[in-house]
Amino acid sequence: MARMGILVSPELCIGCRACQVACKSWNQLPGDKTINRGGFENPPDLTPHLYNRIHYLEVPSEKDATRWLFLNQRCMHCDDAGCMKICPAPGALYRTKEGAVGTNKDKCIGCKLCAVGCPFNVPRYDEKDKISKCHLCFDRIANGLQPACTKTCPTGALKYGDRDGLIAAAGKVGYGKLYGQSDLGGLGALYAFKDAPKLYGMNEKPAIPETVVFWHKVLKPLSFIGLGGVVAASLVHYVAFGPHKIKEEEEVRKDG
Amino acid sequence: MDKMVKKYNAFAILDHWVLALSCIVLAVQGFGFLFHIESVGSFFGGFESMRMWHNYLGIAFSVSLLCSLFLFLKESLTFDADDIGWIKVLGGYLSHKVTVPPMGKVNTGQKFYFLGLVVFGAGIVGSGLVLWLMADNKIYVMYSHLIHNISFVMLMILVPAHMYLGSLANPGTFRLMIYGTAPYWWAKKVSPKWISEVEKEHKA
Repeated sequence: MARMGILVSPELCIGCRACQVACKSWNQLPGDKTINRGGFENPPDLTPHLYNRIHYLEVPSEKDATRWLFLNQRCMHCDDAGCMKICPAPGALYRTKEGAVGTNKDKCIGCKLCAVGCPFNVPRYDEKDKISKCHLCFDRIANGLQPACTKTCPTGALKYGDRDGLIAAAGKVGYGKLYGQSDLGGLGALYAFKDAPKLYGMNEKPAIPETVVFWHKVLKPLSFIGLGGVVAASLVHYVAFGPHKIKEEEEVRKDG
Repeated sequence: MDKMVKKYNAFAILDHWVLALSCIVLAVQGFGFLFHIESVGSFFGGFESMRMWHNYLGIAFSVSLLCSLFLFLKESLTFDADDIGWIKVLGGYLSHKVTVPPMGKVNTGQKFYFLGLVVFGAGIVGSGLVLWLMADNKIYVMYSHLIHNISFVMLMILVPAHMYLGSLANPGTFRLMIYGTAPYWWAKKVSPKWISEVEKEHKA
């Protein structure tokens, strides 16, 4: 199956947050108690009960006093997913056939390592310390529906579809290279930014932490190569030199 | 029946067994986590339950490691000219013909082994505690994960070598782990400096 993805076009977003509501509705997530922080952005960050949200940014503008940017924050469904790399529990994070990073709370062991592997600070943990994040509505897309957030978006700022098709469509309306088109093997969530990603608070070059890459590429294979090497060396030693037997007779003779 | 000499008391024997068994089980669980080995996970009642076993067995490992400091650390930090001689002939491990300098209760290799065990044991215990109790701090977890795995790699080289040298490679050593005693003539040959100390004490 072709890889599916979400195209986020911040220019089309009107900040209505219907995506947040639809996500909560489909995934039966309770509301978070928040405080009035004097702005429209709410809650201020992703929570265990908030899989996607609109980040409100006010940036300087030449024309007006200020310019508003609306950024949809969510799990990016990386192709080279740091969370899946570091996860010690098989099946807790898995690749759906549509290319999303699905979650299975029953298999999650609550170690919170995936937060370390994630370049986008996405994983959150529920009351039982289980992974809680956007799974691209794996239950909907598996049945031919689109995710709740894209289904509900009134302006087309969130579009779900064939990933290559989304890239081609964005190209037609003038977006050369999308954010996430090739980062981390290609992100499942693509961003059509008009300005530099930095203006949206996005990392220009997202990457899995180096310690995690080093662990994955070097330490992981070294653990069994080291063990296997010592076992093999012991065998060779046993065959080549044999056990070091200490004879009593010699002692007796010397003593005598 | 040979005349026997007592090398390790009941506490040392028990401590070594707890350390050895917890280390082996923890290592098997570690490989289970590292390579997603479902059979290992199932054996411990699933991966979530294995995580709990891993944490609590880690306590057994750390306590026995701490006790072993009182048993072996002083000896392991004492080096003399014979230790240099030991290194020069590689402990006689690569030839049974060379003359190995007289050794004390433990040989130079065992001293280095114990120091390595302490360093990487402390690394794996300390980082393990952070991974268990401070999981919400991402930076702590990131470095602890690294230290835990570096220590694991090193221990997976040191421990099997120790197991081989303490059993198959040197017949007569394994009984020390069970009885703590060795035949007098054997100990005199393997640990002459220690035996002379024992003799001195005995006379006094």
